Amino acid sequence: MQERSLFFADRERWVAVEFGVMLGLLGEGLMLTAQIFVVTLIGSLPLGVVVALCRMSRFAPLAWLAKFYISILRGTPLMLQLMAIMFGPYYLFGLQMGPDWKFIACDIGFILNYAAYFGEIYRSGIQSIPRGQYEAAEVLGYTRAQTFMKIVLPQVIKRILPAMGNEIITLVKDTSLAFVLGIAEMFSQAKALAAREVSMIPYAVAALIYWVFCLLIEFILNRVEKRMDYYHD
Amino acid sequence: MTDAVSARNACAADAVVTLEGATKSFGANQVLKGISLEVCEGDVLAIIGPSGGGKSTLLRCLTMLETLDGGSLSYGDVRVCADDGGGRAIYGGKDVIREAKTRFGLVFQDFNLFPHYTVLKNVTDPLVSVHKVAKAEAEERGRELLRKMGLSGKEDMVPCELSGGQQQRVAIARALAMNPQVLYFDEPTSALDPELTREVLRVIRELAEERMTMVIVTHEMAFARDVADKLIFMDGGQVVERGRAADVINAPKHERTRAFLSGYAS
Ligand SMILES: Nc1ncnc2c1ncn2[C@@H]1O[C@H](COP(=O)(O)OP(=O)(O)OP(=O)(O)O)[C@@H](O)[C@H]1O
Ligand SMILES: [Mg+2]
Repeated sequence: MQERSLFFADRERWVAVEFGVMLGLLGEGLMLTAQIFVVTLIGSLPLGVVVALCRMSRFAPLAWLAKFYISILRGTPLMLQLMAIMFGPYYLFGLQMGPDWKFIACDIGFILNYAAYFGEIYRSGIQSIPRGQYEAAEVLGYTRAQTFMKIVLPQVIKRILPAMGNEIITLVKDTSLAFVLGIAEMFSQAKALAAREVSMIPYAVAALIYWVFCLLIEFILNRVEKRMDYYHD
Repeated sequence: MTDAVSARNACAADAVVTLEGATKSFGANQVLKGISLEVCEGDVLAIIGPSGGGKSTLLRCLTMLETLDGGSLSYGDVRVCADDGGGRAIYGGKDVIREAKTRFGLVFQDFNLFPHYTVLKNVTDPLVSVHKVAKAEAEERGRELLRKMGLSGKEDMVPCELSGGQQQRVAIARALAMNPQVLYFDEPTSALDPELTREVLRVIRELAEERMTMVIVTHEMAFARDVADKLIFMDGGQVVERGRAADVINAPKHERTRAFLSGYAS
């Protein structure tokens, strides 16, 4: 800090510039955070469907496998899972991965983990739809695909929305776990800045940004929920 | 007691529904023990009997929500399943099943309307999605049916905004929209209080006056006596007694029928 003041005679100007630098670095981190967030959702929302379908399969080994998968991914820390995927190729197969591997490993880890959670939410939603809905559709002549797409799915979406919202907001904050892989997302940036500046302010600012991120998501989710508020069952 | 011969009404034209020797078990529990019945065009058949007697199971087999273990079932000339001679029911192929499904409608005890669709869409969507009727035509038919059910002005509401009696009338409109040859009801008023029961029964009575073919499982004895032409008393998976509705209810022949009916005030 002291050596810096040599460059900036005017202390107030120095604070402003330093604050700008901090925001810049946190902003760069936020880009990576948002990227992990978006890629995870794009991958895990559909993969969760596969997990749920396997879990509900009448073919017992498949259902058992899905159950095992869900149990492992929900039952161990995401941080460990990220590290396992990051270093697994080397320790298991002696493979040297390129410098970009950490980003790929990170996305794979997040997607696999969140697919387990989403899969369980989907399953609980699908299984909460009364049998009578399927039977009414069947008697009316709807095909199985129509029954699912037109009758079941819209009701499932409404029912699982609160649980999905929870999980998605958790994901915003979980992205910070990418720091264990040396990915400079927002939390890593805040940590580095805090160490360099011997200040808690970068943490506080990062927290604020996480919170605003979540507020935005809450806002979107609320709007979707409102749109489906026209009925209850 | 349940011989197929006495089950034959000998309809003037082809029977709308013909069921012969129907058997169905859930595990070790035989729920249908050789049921035969025939429904002629314009008939209103009431099915009564104690709880657990297999009435719902019978309707579920007739509507193919359950498969029969043995026996044969036809809708007019469409043979849904036939007995293989060894007491096993062999079902027809996909096309046969699809065709048969256009012949009947089913009204459930708890309505089973689609809660996310408006009243009108509940009635029209099956027409549009399943029968590929043009949307405008389907809506015209839907509005007309809803009017008939006394539900004009409710088209754009969702089911949760309606009373149980209104919901059940939407369900009836939905079933009627498909132009079924026979309409099944499984205790259509059991989930309703007396006043709402009355409005639903009135609608069914009007359908009976229009010679709509119907099979109605009910605990409303007075209604069964007044509206149904024919009646079946089922107990323990068997038809214990059958005949003209008024005759069976006013003067039951079988001891078990008498005991059952004495439990009702009517
Ligand atoms: N899916 C099923 N699995 C196992 N047993 C069943 C199933 N459905 C019905 N049963 C059994 O079949 C028997 C007849 O049931 P059903 O519902 O057909 O009677 P019901 O005459 O309609 O009675 P209620 O007047 O109470 O509606 C009962 O013993 C019931 O437990
Ligand atoms: Mg029943």
